Amino acid sequence: MSEQRIRAEICRVLMERQLSTGGWPALAQSEQTALEPTIYSMLALGSGQEHGYQRALRCLLACQNPNGSWPSFIGDDREGAWTTALALIALADNVEAAWSRRKGFQWLLRSSGKESSWLWKWKFRTTDRHVRFDSNKFGWPWQPDTNSWVVPTSFAILALHHLPAAWAGELAAFRVQRGTEMLLDRVCPGGGWNAGNGVVYGAALAAHPDDTAVTLLALKNRPDEPAVRESLAWLDSYVARLSAPWSVAWSALALAAHSRCVRRLVSSLVQQLRPNEIRDTATLAVLALALDVERSLPLVAVNP
Amino acid sequence: MTISRRDLLIAGTALAAGVSVSAPFLRPRYRVDRRPVRSRVALLRLEDYSRPIDELLFLGLCQFPIRVQGKRVLLKPNLVDYMPGNAINTHPRLVVAAAEAFRRLGARYVVVGEGAGHQRDTQLVLSESGYEQDLKRHGIPFVDLNRDELVRVGLGASYTDLEYLWLPRTVLGSDFLVSMPKVKAHHWSGVTLSMKNMFGVVPGNKYGWPKNILHWRGILGSILDICATVPIQFVIADAVIGMEGNGPLNGRPRPLWTVVLADDPVAADATCARLMGFEPERIPHIHEAARFLGNSSLGLIDQAGEVLRPPEVPFQVVPEFEHIRAT
Repeated sequence: MSEQRIRAEICRVLMERQLSTGGWPALAQSEQTALEPTIYSMLALGSGQEHGYQRALRCLLACQNPNGSWPSFIGDDREGAWTTALALIALADNVEAAWSRRKGFQWLLRSSGKESSWLWKWKFRTTDRHVRFDSNKFGWPWQPDTNSWVVPTSFAILALHHLPAAWAGELAAFRVQRGTEMLLDRVCPGGGWNAGNGVVYGAALAAHPDDTAVTLLALKNRPDEPAVRESLAWLDSYVARLSAPWSVAWSALALAAHSRCVRRLVSSLVQQLRPNEIRDTATLAVLALALDVERSLPLVAVNP
Repeated sequence: MTISRRDLLIAGTALAAGVSVSAPFLRPRYRVDRRPVRSRVALLRLEDYSRPIDELLFLGLCQFPIRVQGKRVLLKPNLVDYMPGNAINTHPRLVVAAAEAFRRLGARYVVVGEGAGHQRDTQLVLSESGYEQDLKRHGIPFVDLNRDELVRVGLGASYTDLEYLWLPRTVLGSDFLVSMPKVKAHHWSGVTLSMKNMFGVVPGNKYGWPKNILHWRGILGSILDICATVPIQFVIADAVIGMEGNGPLNGRPRPLWTVVLADDPVAADATCARLMGFEPERIPHIHEAARFLGNSSLGLIDQAGEVLRPPEVPFQVVPEFEHIRAT
């Protein structure tokens, strides 16, 4: 099957799985709307699927929390989650959602890893030094009151690249700078990223391809950093032997963002895909994005 | 009588160990005492994962009065990440053997569920660790607990100030939960056994990767709160090849050639700790769990199968947990 036909098949399956809320569930047959698959599905379908896209857009705007953040799923606590960054990426340039976006960006700029406060910085510098990281370099957590981690920080940076110039200020520039420093600090020995622990108790931990890919998308404008170059080389060689669709799809997007040829990678994806058998909706949607990198990349990773 | 510096050092270490065990839990914070009158543990010898496991495990389970006819059984292995050569995960052949055994015992539905704590790509961990093909070959369904539907549940204890957690519907809907840990030393909690294994039911979709909220609210308290909320009905622990040192990911493989079965998670963890050469009373969460979740005392555990023989040299641990090693 051609890439276009399999992409169309994925979009058909996504449309079938859209819930009455307008959002998507994390797993097939679930009735609970989860934000991560909803946002990837919106990006994958695009405004070309007018009806489904508009329903998803209404769902996204309706589930925004009063404090400007977004939840992980509909029904979640109202304090906010890392999915706020994803929602802001999905709503980029949407004029009708300007008020929602502004509140969302304000929340995102207030959100930071718990280690960014002086007390915890001091603790991590003095008594709690088993995980190697520089607590001066902080980013974003998965949820409030926890540490900064690589994936939410990467998505927050990608979201802030969509921040309109009129709203951008010193704080936004500072947060992107600190977040970028944090990502570079957390790189694994030998290249690549995992959740955010490169070295624990003196031992190097392995990098993960999907975390590495998302981080490389956030660091698209830093191609000359040694950590980026090393991680690109690691991902390029590691992903060639992989078959897990989620990791391969994210890797294709990241490598393409850094001007690497991904034709063979995308072809290998197409050969093994049976969209109906993939229960994880976010995986399906990211596959659709990877099968159309030229259209997808400007949606996910814009140049600041 | 003269007291040498060495005596003082030993006494000081013992005092510090005692304080570290009891200080976090000065007052009990559980609501229900679930301890059985007596607990039952069986140790099965298994010298290699390639040996026939199915019959061994089935006969082992038959030593317990297990009633799973018509029930939904959830097998919860320890499936964290994949690093070639590292004994990180519960071996897939043991999980398949457990599924087949519970089917033979009349279970209506057997499902394997896990919410990996480090890896977001569940499919990658499943395929790299050998689970995918083994589960598929035996027609055993798998549920990604990181992405399952979530239900808000009030906690059954208050060792943390979390009050409630969002937990997967598959976990809450199961009738018989089997914790299947890999027996490992752990750099934050001393050991990771059947109770610590329950961190895997906390969904990444809500709490992230890793589930950092549990670290911030206290790992030991979180273990107790989760186990008080989601009862473990049975334990099948993979101590065939365990891990010592810097677990749960980067330690060294250490064979014990044993599968531990138990109808009580505290008895299971205390027995595994003894097999590793540790004093379970010195491991804070086991010590506290023995006040309301199960029995850790040898006098309250009926043991079947192989004789429990602690190793001559206890498992290595990171320096902070040296005091749990039996001396």
